[in-house]
Amino acid sequence: MMQNVMTSNTETIPGFTITQSLGVVTGSTVRAKHIGKDILAGLKNIVGGELKAYTELLMEARNEALGRMMMDAAQRGANAVVNVRFATSSVAGGAAELFAYGTGVIVTEG
Amino acid sequence: MALDAELIGYVLILILLVVFTVFPLTAFIYSMIFARFHHASNHKKLLSREKYVMQSLGKDNLHTLSTPVPDRKISKAGLVMSNITVAPSWWQLFLGTIRSIFGGKIESYDKVLAYGRSEVMQRLREQAIGEGWDEVINVRVETSMVMNKVKGKNMNKSGTLEFLAYGTGIRE
Repeated sequence: MMQNVMTSNTETIPGFTITQSLGVVTGSTVRAKHIGKDILAGLKNIVGGELKAYTELLMEARNEALGRMMMDAAQRGANAVVNVRFATSSVAGGAAELFAYGTGVIVTEG
Repeated sequence: MALDAELIGYVLILILLVVFTVFPLTAFIYSMIFARFHHASNHKKLLSREKYVMQSLGKDNLHTLSTPVPDRKISKAGLVMSNITVAPSWWQLFLGTIRSIFGGKIESYDKVLAYGRSEVMQRLREQAIGEGWDEVINVRVETSMVMNKVKGKNMNKSGTLEFLAYGTGIRE
């Protein structure tokens, strides 16, 4: 079901025409970092450069938010989500909220 | 027995001393001497990956325009994204702190941010190729500081930054 939902961060999907707009679809998730990984990242900080633990954590969380957004779109009967945006906000205690939103639309080819 | 307890006390103090003075000191010196080699090797790898992609495609597959430039038939579109979290080393952080007293160009942070940005773009290129997209349009690069706020206060002591690059992959 989710595979059928196309996503795009442009206002229209090139090559398709929008026939109906179904409103804003959203998906979000809140993640906190694992204390062990936090300590390891702190050690990695000595040398600097990439902190892989955080990169992976944030990517995983963002994929989850995106997945939830697509589920929302599919439940409304949309076959595409256009103008997808990402927002991040931090909640108390080192937790981060990752939020994805866009407009659910029905598109037809041509 | 009293002597033993005293001895254990001394040993504990010694261990604490080692943990809180010797370790940060060695870590700082390590950072001062060896961090630049790590960065140089990362940068070298990045350059060779960029060169490989450019050579195999013959052009850059990322565009910031919202429509594909030679207008053509698209059969499928989808979101592509990639990210990286970077932080300066202790030595760079130290240099930056000193530099920020007098103001001016902070080269040590400059390097970290430049590396993060070009790495995230390169990852987007590789991600797009891996997922089978011909091109990525409407590419945006965002910066967020999500991992370093503690109880509402901005405690960005370690200077951790996250870069996110995303765009719409298109397939003919």
